[in-house]
Amino acid sequence: MTESALILGAMDLQDYLPIGILLLMAITFAVANVVLSLLIGPRRGGSVKSDAYESGMVPIGTARKRFNVRFYLIAMTFLVFDVEVVFLYPWAVTYANIDPASDEAWMFLGRVLFFMATTVIAYVYGYRKGVFKFD
Amino acid sequence: MQAITDAIFPIPAQTFVGIITVLVMIHAILLTIPILIYFERKISAYIQDRIGPNRVGFDFGLPFLQKLFSFGGKRPFGFWGLGQSAADGLKFLLKEDVTPRGADKWLFSIAPMAAVVPAFIGWAVIPWGGTLTITNPINLFGLDLVAPGNATVAVADINIGFIYLLAIASLGIYGVTLGGWSSNSKFSFLGGMRASANMISYEIPLGLALLATLLLAGSFRASDIITMQASAGWFVLAQPLACIIFFVCVLAECNRAPFDNAEAEQELVGGFHTEYSAMRFALFFLAEYAHMITASAFLILVFFGGYHLPFVPLTAPEATGLLAALVKTFVFFNKVILVVVVMMVIRWTLPRIRYDQVLRLCWQALIPITISLVVLTAIWMKLGWTAWPQTLAMNILALIVITAIAPALFNSTANNRKVPLAGSRFSPLKGYEGTTTPTDPVHLDDDNPQAARA
Repeated sequence: MTESALILGAMDLQDYLPIGILLLMAITFAVANVVLSLLIGPRRGGSVKSDAYESGMVPIGTARKRFNVRFYLIAMTFLVFDVEVVFLYPWAVTYANIDPASDEAWMFLGRVLFFMATTVIAYVYGYRKGVFKFD
Repeated sequence: MQAITDAIFPIPAQTFVGIITVLVMIHAILLTIPILIYFERKISAYIQDRIGPNRVGFDFGLPFLQKLFSFGGKRPFGFWGLGQSAADGLKFLLKEDVTPRGADKWLFSIAPMAAVVPAFIGWAVIPWGGTLTITNPINLFGLDLVAPGNATVAVADINIGFIYLLAIASLGIYGVTLGGWSSNSKFSFLGGMRASANMISYEIPLGLALLATLLLAGSFRASDIITMQASAGWFVLAQPLACIIFFVCVLAECNRAPFDNAEAEQELVGGFHTEYSAMRFALFFLAEYAHMITASAFLILVFFGGYHLPFVPLTAPEATGLLAALVKTFVFFNKVILVVVVMMVIRWTLPRIRYDQVLRLCWQALIPITISLVVLTAIWMKLGWTAWPQTLAMNILALIVITAIAPALFNSTANNRKVPLAGSRFSPLKGYEGTTTPTDPVHLDDDNPQAARA
């Protein structure tokens, strides 16, 4: 177990330099490919050709219509659980690095069990409300 | 001038190795993707009793290269179709890039880039080759370029490695959602919505399954978790349930079958990339495969010991030479390819799961199971039972308890509703000479049910 795992604040920026290079290479690759294909490829437009595909029919209206509210509900419940997971990560590393026999470990465990219990309440509420029914 | 070079050099060994790894691995991955696409086509061909691509060799069908590869015969040698993917890539570049009318032009162009960039930077924290020791300072023109020291053969061996991996993996959603929304096509729109719901849902069990494992490791640094596994046994033994759930979530995150509802051909044509053509389509394709490589590397890293092979001293974390680093990278990469091939076999073997069942699996099964796994692991750690046979027993216990109490908690009676459809075998129209009793026909027209009924 390294000390550095506990001290998330202490970061060496030089460690992130290669990630920056990688990011630049990835962006260059993506942009260059799109631009290159736009330059090389032919361009022959047409009123029917530039229609959106709708099984060969003339498209009816726009695609930006109202959509099923379930997608919105999924996004909302996702927020609840994802934030929970984010909170659990620092706890996991700290908890793994303390002596399991100590009183501190009891405190860490009890707090997270309480935290999980609140999430379970949220889950049960959502389930009873029918949020997790997708048919 | 002297002051500037003194400030920059010597650069730390980790930064130097990181830059070398970037330059090598980005090309390795970019060159692996066409081979993987060839693999996928060949595997699907064998599963479906076809031959698959077997004509296009390294002449790529170009006239001026054909002479080079025609050994005696008239037609150039095909090399079992190995040149197919490269020829496809060339064609993607030369085809017309169509933007449909009414599409958001900027977002339509940005979407494939937003898909491909996270896919290509996600693997930055994967420690391909373990620790490499640079003993002598690399000296050029009397200037110490690189300081000696230990370095991990990874782009960056940062202490928040797993958080970085998860964060970048989540960014992949943007490309798919933007691509689906900006196309102004109904198929794209529905595919984008489905993909985003799919990917965000499966991110939660993915994170929780990873958490249950990281609890045992106690570090976010990717190289630590391999060292840990080399000494305490691979985490697939300690947390097999988490491993299976992680793999299922990886399949769903990559939008691979059986969770590929985002691009279900029978329903949505091409899903979010229906309107894409030429290189912008190719970027989505590349992103999918790069994502598969990253996700498989993630799985190998967390559960299958990374570069470590039992009983092979050269792949132990203690081996720090250049040869060991190369062997480790080779082992790691081959494990990754193995997982990708398993994903391909799954794609061509299993039927696609219906969309509501995909989400139900996530929210009603995987999330409760992973939450209880995390809680159980925490309790087991408080009791001091962290060796792998003990956590394995915990996994088996959890599986038995969950299968025993799950039917009581979740009522799944409304699993498969029969929707009466006018004129179908199950609800024939009035006057139709069917075998079943006629029922009131109901149309599936949400906009105007009354008109459809009349």
